[in-house]
Amino acid sequence: MSKQQGRAGLLRGSIFLFLLLGGAVVRTNAAADALQEIKQRGVLRWGADAEGGAPYTYPDPQKPDQIIGFEYDLAEALAAKLGVKAEMVQNQWDQLIPGLERGNFDIVLNGLEVTEENQQRNVLTQPYYVYAQQIVTRKGNRDITQMDDLRRKTVGVLSASAALRLIAKIDGVDMRVYPGNVEALRDLKAYRIEAAVMDLPIAVYYAKPDPALQFAGPSFASGYYAIGVRRKDSTLLAALNKAIQELAQDGTLERIYRKYNVWDEQQIGLKDFRPEQVVARKSISTLREWRKYLPPLLRAAVTTLELSIVAMTLAVVLGLVIVLLRLYGIAPLRWLAKAYVEVIRGTPLLIQLLMIYYGLAEMGIRLNAFCAAVLGLGMNYAASESENYRAGIQAIPSGQTEAALALGMNRWQLLRHVILPQALRLVIPPVTNDFIAMFKDSSIVSVITMVELTKEYGMLAMSTYDYLGLGLMTAGIYFGLSYPASILANRLERKLRYDRR
Amino acid sequence: MIVVKQLVKSYNSNRVLHGIDHQQERREAVVLIGPSGCGKSTFLRCLNQLEIADSGTITIDGVTVQGGQAASSGVGVSPAFFSRVFGAKKVRTDPTPEQREQQRRLRMRAGMVFQSFNLFPHLTVLENVTEAPIVVKGMARTEADDLARQLLAKVDLDQKAYAYPSQLSGGQQQRVAIARALAMQPRVMLFDEPTSALDPELRDEVLRVMRNLAEEGMTMIVVTHEMQFARDMADRVVFFDGGLVAESGPPEQIFEAPVNARTREFVMRVGNGRA
Repeated sequence: MSKQQGRAGLLRGSIFLFLLLGGAVVRTNAAADALQEIKQRGVLRWGADAEGGAPYTYPDPQKPDQIIGFEYDLAEALAAKLGVKAEMVQNQWDQLIPGLERGNFDIVLNGLEVTEENQQRNVLTQPYYVYAQQIVTRKGNRDITQMDDLRRKTVGVLSASAALRLIAKIDGVDMRVYPGNVEALRDLKAYRIEAAVMDLPIAVYYAKPDPALQFAGPSFASGYYAIGVRRKDSTLLAALNKAIQELAQDGTLERIYRKYNVWDEQQIGLKDFRPEQVVARKSISTLREWRKYLPPLLRAAVTTLELSIVAMTLAVVLGLVIVLLRLYGIAPLRWLAKAYVEVIRGTPLLIQLLMIYYGLAEMGIRLNAFCAAVLGLGMNYAASESENYRAGIQAIPSGQTEAALALGMNRWQLLRHVILPQALRLVIPPVTNDFIAMFKDSSIVSVITMVELTKEYGMLAMSTYDYLGLGLMTAGIYFGLSYPASILANRLERKLRYDRR
Repeated sequence: MIVVKQLVKSYNSNRVLHGIDHQQERREAVVLIGPSGCGKSTFLRCLNQLEIADSGTITIDGVTVQGGQAASSGVGVSPAFFSRVFGAKKVRTDPTPEQREQQRRLRMRAGMVFQSFNLFPHLTVLENVTEAPIVVKGMARTEADDLARQLLAKVDLDQKAYAYPSQLSGGQQQRVAIARALAMQPRVMLFDEPTSALDPELRDEVLRVMRNLAEEGMTMIVVTHEMQFARDMADRVVFFDGGLVAESGPPEQIFEAPVNARTREFVMRVGNGRA
């Protein structure tokens, strides 16, 4: 479904931690009947992500502290049927299932697609909405009218979405994975991609009103949204199924969907929907099936490695230029270098990346994702490298300068032959630290559609729900790459040491 | 050979040199003595432009630099910037390229040996000696190596050519520093308390090298507290006191029959160099 849900990379860690802490506090009255508990409490807690969630669940643009959306109205109607109040619990979209399992809320009601994966460990109610996929292109494009036309085209999809699974099957498609559909549409308008595929309601809300965009062909590949419930909460499941059935038949659903302009004739089928029995599949152990899951992780690790090496090279060189300007440059350049370091260090890398990728595109400078990622990481780390160098240069005793000047060296010769050779040896350890830090920090570039190791892990984990097994593999790869780097740096440091006694 | 006229140097409001006049002939070895804080080291550092005098002139072998120019320092913020921002009264500007070049020419006429050796720790002994001839004079490496080996033999360290400074004793390091300065073929050698950082048993090897230099006819100015050395090798001893030359004369005069009362007091205190 919709979403800015991404921001994923950097948020995922903190959310995971939050869930761990949260889980320790949340009572898990496993024995108690969930329906009974909800009625006693008088509140039905439903999990959803309101960030970029129109028209499902989103903050009212007129009154931003009020949540609206067709799912919001549906939750209210369902709660009313159960005789309780509804209360939305905000939760990052791609973490809704883990959140449900941890007991942060009673149900997930947020564009959850009826797929095998989603029914592995939890159950789904009968569907409350029939969605379909819609291809969106720039106005005037006549090449693309159906899925087959996407072959060898650059296509944007939302991470962990039905569209992604569908498009991934097309041969030779150049797929770009976005944290949110809004970003995909922006890149479509910036000519970075040729088409975007997304759930119809989102296309209706975000793309249809945009004069620069058009719907390419009819919608296709329909599927169902349903409510996710913990497997053990069977009475709650039954009560919700009954309530959805009633809301479909008494016209409440149609009224709600028309209000948000997401009604179409496909929804009529919901009235007579008879759920087919989905057999619970046993959960996937990615560790046991490592032959299948390790190669995509390794491929992603190559991207991470390339990115880190190129970006660090840029940082090391640019940092040197900056520190030389700062220490030895003429006045305006000196101030400029200092300002650069302070501004870059004082602003988040995330914002710098988004500005380079999306911001510059608005001004007509369209860098591809890799270049933007290298530039963002490289410029950011150049600031800290220049500070490392500065510390190294200032650690060289003034006697060295005096000796070189007394020998008749000019300022450049002094720098080139006396100061820098000593300073650069001093900064090997901090620069190595930064390289290893960047290696891990580079996961942030998933916000600008780069699929690197952490993003790949997130995508695989989301479809298998084996966060642990994949996590071990991913962590192993990170460690296996960064540990040799630190060994290498130690060796280099030892080799270049001159104060051996 | 060396002519210094009315050299004045202050740090902030503290005047260290009150107008020094000094003349020295070629092949003359001069030893500067005096109580600490009397300005001897500052004088030496002004001579090769590590400090820039406020006024006065320095001439070494035909190259003259006027005081009052901005320092051509290696590292740091330009004094002009601070003057403008903080409203310092005396506005100094960055030296012009011509001034900087003139300062450098003066420096190349004078070789400097520091109290703390200041060898380049990342270079071998040989490279320490060859670095400046190669980098500054553009000498070919083979030629520089030959020169360096000669000079290292002269300071009795030819067998340490491939050692790093950190592997040497203080006395050995100071001898390398002397060879390094000689490699630029200076007209005058300046020694700034060359043995003060050394243990007593290591001083002699350095003093021996310096004595040999003096005997070869090198023009030298030595700031030192080694009175016996001053007595033995100086052609002339200059006694500094309170930023002025209090007395100047042959060692016998300074140590045996000083004219100035302050000189007498100082010689009484530190001894007259008789073993």
